[in-house]
Amino acid sequence: MAGWLFVITLVLALVAVYRPFGDYMYRVVTGTRSNVVERGVYRLVGVNPSAEQTWGVYARSVLAFSAVSILFLYAFLRLQDKLWLSLGFDPVTSHVAWNTAVSFVSNTNWQAYSGESTMGHLAQMAGLAVQNFVSAAVGIAVAVALIRGFASRGSGELGNFWVDLTRITVRVLLPVAALATLIFMVGGMVQNLSGGTDVTTLTGAAQHITGGPVASQEAIKLLGTNGGGFYNANSAHPFENPTTWTNWIQIFLILLIPFSLPRVFGRMVGQNRQGYAIVAVMAVLAIASTALTIGFELHGAGTVPQAVGAAMEGKETRFGIPDSATFAAATTLTSTGAVNSFHDSYTALGGMMPMVNMMLGEVAPGGTGSGLYGLLILAVITVFVAGLMVGRTPEYLGKKIGAREMKLASSYFLITPALVLIGTAAAFANGHNSTALNVGPHGLSEVLYAFTSASNNNGSAFAGITVNTPWWDTALGLAMLLGRFLPIVLVLALAGSLARQKVTPESEGTLPTHQPLFVGLVVGVTVVLVALTFLPALALGPIAEGLS
Amino acid sequence: MRLPAWLSQHIAALRALLVMTVLLGLLYPLLFVAVGRIPGLSDKAGGSIVGTSGSRLIGQAFTDADGNPVLKYFQSRPSKAGDGYDPTATGASNLGPESVVDSPDAPSLLTQVCERSLAVGKLENVDGSRPYCTPDGVGAVLAVFYRDGLTGPVTRAVSVNQTGTPFIATYEGVTVESAQPGQDYQALGGVITPIRGDAPGKPAVPADAVTTSGSGLDPDISPAYAELQVPRIARERGLTEDQVRKLVKEHTDGRALGFLGEPAVNVLELNLALNGK
Amino acid sequence: MTLLAEKPAVESPKPVGGGLLDPQQLWRSLPSAVRKLDPRVMWRNPVMFIVEIGAVFTTVLSIADPSVFAWIITVWLWLTVVFANLAEAVAEGRGKAQAAALRAAKQDTVAYLKDGREIPATQLTLGDVVVVEAGQVIPGDGDVIEGIASVDESAITGESAPVIRESGGDRSAVTGGTKVLSDRIVVKITQRPGESFVDRMIALVEGANRQKTPNEIALNILLAALTIIFLLSVVTLQPLAIFSKAFNAAAPDTVALDGNGVTGIVLVSLIVCLIPTTIGALLSAIGIAGMDRLVQRNVLAMSGRAVEAAGDVNTLLLDKTGTITLGNRQAAEFVPVDGVTAATLADAAQLSSLADETPEGRSVVVLAKNQFGLREREPGLMPEATFVPFTAQTRMSGVDLGGRQIRKGAASAVMKWVRQNGGHPTEEVGEIVDAISGSGGTPLVVAGLDPGQPARALGVIHLKDVVKAGMRARFDEMRRMGIRTVMITGDNPRTAKAIADEAGVDDFLAEATPEDKLAYIKKEQDGGRLVAMTGDGTNDAPALAQADVGVAMNTGTSAAKEAGNMVDLDSDPTKLIEIVEIGKQLLITRGALTTFSISNDIAKYFAIIPAMFAAVYPGLDTLNVMRLHSPGSAILSAVIFNALVIMALIPLALRGVRYRPSSASALLRRNLWIYGLGGVIVPFLGIKLIDLLVQFIPGI
Repeated sequence: MAGWLFVITLVLALVAVYRPFGDYMYRVVTGTRSNVVERGVYRLVGVNPSAEQTWGVYARSVLAFSAVSILFLYAFLRLQDKLWLSLGFDPVTSHVAWNTAVSFVSNTNWQAYSGESTMGHLAQMAGLAVQNFVSAAVGIAVAVALIRGFASRGSGELGNFWVDLTRITVRVLLPVAALATLIFMVGGMVQNLSGGTDVTTLTGAAQHITGGPVASQEAIKLLGTNGGGFYNANSAHPFENPTTWTNWIQIFLILLIPFSLPRVFGRMVGQNRQGYAIVAVMAVLAIASTALTIGFELHGAGTVPQAVGAAMEGKETRFGIPDSATFAAATTLTSTGAVNSFHDSYTALGGMMPMVNMMLGEVAPGGTGSGLYGLLILAVITVFVAGLMVGRTPEYLGKKIGAREMKLASSYFLITPALVLIGTAAAFANGHNSTALNVGPHGLSEVLYAFTSASNNNGSAFAGITVNTPWWDTALGLAMLLGRFLPIVLVLALAGSLARQKVTPESEGTLPTHQPLFVGLVVGVTVVLVALTFLPALALGPIAEGLS
Repeated sequence: MRLPAWLSQHIAALRALLVMTVLLGLLYPLLFVAVGRIPGLSDKAGGSIVGTSGSRLIGQAFTDADGNPVLKYFQSRPSKAGDGYDPTATGASNLGPESVVDSPDAPSLLTQVCERSLAVGKLENVDGSRPYCTPDGVGAVLAVFYRDGLTGPVTRAVSVNQTGTPFIATYEGVTVESAQPGQDYQALGGVITPIRGDAPGKPAVPADAVTTSGSGLDPDISPAYAELQVPRIARERGLTEDQVRKLVKEHTDGRALGFLGEPAVNVLELNLALNGK
Repeated sequence: MTLLAEKPAVESPKPVGGGLLDPQQLWRSLPSAVRKLDPRVMWRNPVMFIVEIGAVFTTVLSIADPSVFAWIITVWLWLTVVFANLAEAVAEGRGKAQAAALRAAKQDTVAYLKDGREIPATQLTLGDVVVVEAGQVIPGDGDVIEGIASVDESAITGESAPVIRESGGDRSAVTGGTKVLSDRIVVKITQRPGESFVDRMIALVEGANRQKTPNEIALNILLAALTIIFLLSVVTLQPLAIFSKAFNAAAPDTVALDGNGVTGIVLVSLIVCLIPTTIGALLSAIGIAGMDRLVQRNVLAMSGRAVEAAGDVNTLLLDKTGTITLGNRQAAEFVPVDGVTAATLADAAQLSSLADETPEGRSVVVLAKNQFGLREREPGLMPEATFVPFTAQTRMSGVDLGGRQIRKGAASAVMKWVRQNGGHPTEEVGEIVDAISGSGGTPLVVAGLDPGQPARALGVIHLKDVVKAGMRARFDEMRRMGIRTVMITGDNPRTAKAIADEAGVDDFLAEATPEDKLAYIKKEQDGGRLVAMTGDGTNDAPALAQADVGVAMNTGTSAAKEAGNMVDLDSDPTKLIEIVEIGKQLLITRGALTTFSISNDIAKYFAIIPAMFAAVYPGLDTLNVMRLHSPGSAILSAVIFNALVIMALIPLALRGVRYRPSSASALLRRNLWIYGLGGVIVPFLGIKLIDLLVQFIPGI
């Protein structure tokens, strides 16, 4: 019962902030006045904040910023021993540095390393955590650009990336992260630059209590749906998630921006009900998935959970099963990938749910920005099929969905399944699945999970698999890179194509995209077209394991 | 000289990244490091250190140098962080729900659970048996060979986790063999079949006592596991069980707000309180 | 001639549809379907091309390693492709029959040039001038530049009544292949050789140069993407299957899975079942059948794009006269002035109109008869009567009966006559006239002069436009479909408004000049709307060209026919409404079958996945919710179902999904229930039923 209350209070809290926080973000992304910090940034960067960009320029700006970020972060990690606060750690090896740089810039935060034994404090806070902010801002900026495409009256312009990046970072991410940091510190999270404290335990053993600027990094790790933990154990670590109520706040932070962005969408296209429809799709999928995850975990099927009497392996005492399962659902429904319990040891079907969440394309509600644009793509595809069924050239928000739009939308939803399936098959075909800790279907799940997580920019893992080999680092790095930036380019191209279109006025003959019927239809399309693609693979992994 | 567009774009990107790095990577975290020095927060920001014996938030093993439980202390959960409760090597077992067949270099999760259950049962003088566990504390798992692969009459049965006497004599009328070390019976065509056995559905040893946590640093145990340990602590420390129970109760955190998380007992604080008695 | 179905009644909005599938037609189309197996033809349809490649692959496998299972699967895969081709062939076949009939009409015609030469009609070029006498066939499309003739156009329109074609004006266009019945005309040829109207018509109904329409292209992209995804999902399964089989060494080999992974036959079967073959097979048939439905209604669409656009139309521009109202104004009421009875007025009005053969004049006579029982008098029986015809100068007509004179006509003209004849027009007449004008009617004043007395106004005849029965309901229906109707009229705004209100159109354009029409269309298009209109005159051409759907009347000028993207052979302006419905039906059919096709996958997963893998992981048999007999029978049943469903849906693809005008939400709900939910449920039943039969095949 307490577990269900945990979920219900989260839902209520998200409902409560949907309008005010969504409206606030709407004002941020549509506002024209710059504050002192922003003007300073524009001057230092050398951009004219009032210059509008076409989709091509916008996309090139995103790519340039991300490319520079990857190079910068790679160099940072390779040179960390030369910089301050390295805690004496060696430079990160080249393949791990590549993997990590791509991982953090692509908002994946897949960790092929163990934080407490690899990264110095400066690399964490000035290298990795900076990307936690800006990669999240990039996602939101791209989503906003797509919305501008829908809202445009034919100008073809999508805003200015540098302005979006700056405003979202300075006005949304930074203040909320700062508030969260403070709350987390009250909860007991560490925030220092110490190399650690050596203590002697009650029985006389030595223990090295680690330090670090954890709270400030945790806040943005969750708010930006990044998920890269300061420590290997991520949000299961008592320093990253000390109490049961910080656990609640962490999940709330994960879901805050993704669930509020539909409000921004509704406001910007001038029809709040369109936002409600999108958030309803997200909520239906999210609540169903969370309930299933909790249900499977509480049921505790499988030999070991039956022997234990509960699916407690890999879970913390203070969180217990329902709150851990809720975190697992939230982190994979978004592109977060933080964990407060280890998914590898979940029951077979309970562990399948995080995979399914990611396979849905992380749209319910998905990552910061990426969730919204992913769902809007699915809505476009739904509108196309449903629009035909009402006898008109399909249109969404007055924009016709023609051949060009379908080309872009179809390519978008091809990319992730292709990366996941090809990656998984390649790993098995080349024997790289042998680094999986578990055997049989569970080992298959570990490989499938790894590529699903990387391609969808999630970053969580069935952590039993050893992935810091050159092959895995390279393959997953490619999956992350392509899984992030190909879709972004396609989304921006779609935005550009929509922005050039005039708006067809709505009439009785227009497919209504705000009614429950349409919500149900998008849910159906998401489940049937996206998730079922993976059914054959899932059948040989978690389903085979769960039904044995 | 005018720079080509692509280059000026990348230079703008680099500038933007540097500005963001200063703002978000230095100013923001350092501000909160400074905030962490404020009295009232400084203890927590510094790691909630208790005296010199550890952190309130970080679990520790109450075992001797050989890894045996120190009897006067409440015991923590099993840990997979390094050699146990090592904050520089946090992590979980990552073994799956059907990890039931031991390999030569690593016991299966099932066997680990069975072993721990047996050990805790012995330590606390209760029944350490569990479903799917043999009486000698390994996973009760047979490799069953059928005539037609997955169907047909049983032709052979091997207790894959036992090299000694099998936990049952016969299966479907076939004599159960013990396993040869290093032999992969599944590859030979055996069907892996865990045997439930007749252990009680609700074992005396609680779940958290036989499983590792996600972090390997779990500072807490369940009230049930604490209760299990009360008689031993009372005996070892010459206290009454009620005195110990009272202490346990004082160091039990109920669910925050009545619905967040699970009730938990902070083991280090409890043991420190015991020492202070 | 057979091409042309009966002319649809204008007033009754009969649901678009019709055209049953005749089994003989299937049989006749079979050779053509087999010829289409040529890969050079097949690759145009990517979904079915994949199936064909799969079929070739399984054929090779079956030859290399024959088994009952392999051969039956192979046969059914080939049948799947053939069924798809059959759908297209049947759709094309209907057009071919029509084309043949048209060709027969296009006999070897001789053209008599004005300069005296005689050349075969096929050698005519643009600008030639030919003479056509009574009984001769017009050798090519052109405009009459001299003379007037009655022409039998039944070869094109199916209408047997001859039509008048004359030089100048809007009735100058003649079509090659039609026959002059009387008189002699000189025609200037306006076509290039081989591009005559009949040539284009033949090409259209044969579907020869059928271009994919924008929506079809977009849908094809989606289908291609789905095909790639499912292809990937199946192909990448192989290493996973090999791993799983190796892991579970105890699992025996089955028809579906052995040590080398999923067998080629089953892999192909899975791909074919998952990719959207149903819609892929029927897509082009749907498009051809849509054009065909237009042809059956005597509408020639110059491109499929126009048919699709018709479904999207937001605004319909309709000419008032002939479309919304009956052709002419009619007498509706007699309004006498004080001191005159209505019967007296009616009598006078009738007398004055006896010789008036215009529809308006006839309507006065008829109204007087209907309202007052005044029998019509034959003008010839009244020798003393002298009829005064209407002239542009006097703007009135009338009759002189001995000394008695009656005049009727425009108010100002008649009042002037009254004054000239010593009468004093009363204020009252002016009021009545104003009231009638205000209501949108046309007042005709009737005045009389008895010998020795001053002339006096007797009253006013109220002429008004009569809106066709059922138009209002039709426009309400349009509104529910989200289409605005706009009435175009040359009337003044007041008259126009009255008629617009009565007919229930959403807007009107009064005193419309061709420039006004063009401007109105552009304005609507700037607002993002698609506009459809009909037109016939040369001055309609710019607007027809600008409109997204421009339907030219066949009676119209060749300029109008060139400018529009459809020609209505019946020259029935109301048909625009039907064209819109056909356009919508075309899109709905595509959407419904796409939904059906995709929904089908759920059941197929549940049939094939346990069939493939339950042998390795027996627990997966839980997914075999249909309790299919064996792996072999399950896979075979899914493949057979997949093929048969194409056959079962050919009639629907040709006929089109039933369409009733209603709002988008209602349409979506209805189609989603039928084709979405149906698409989920039907294959579960179908596959199970087929499995019940297939399991008795020895070797399965």
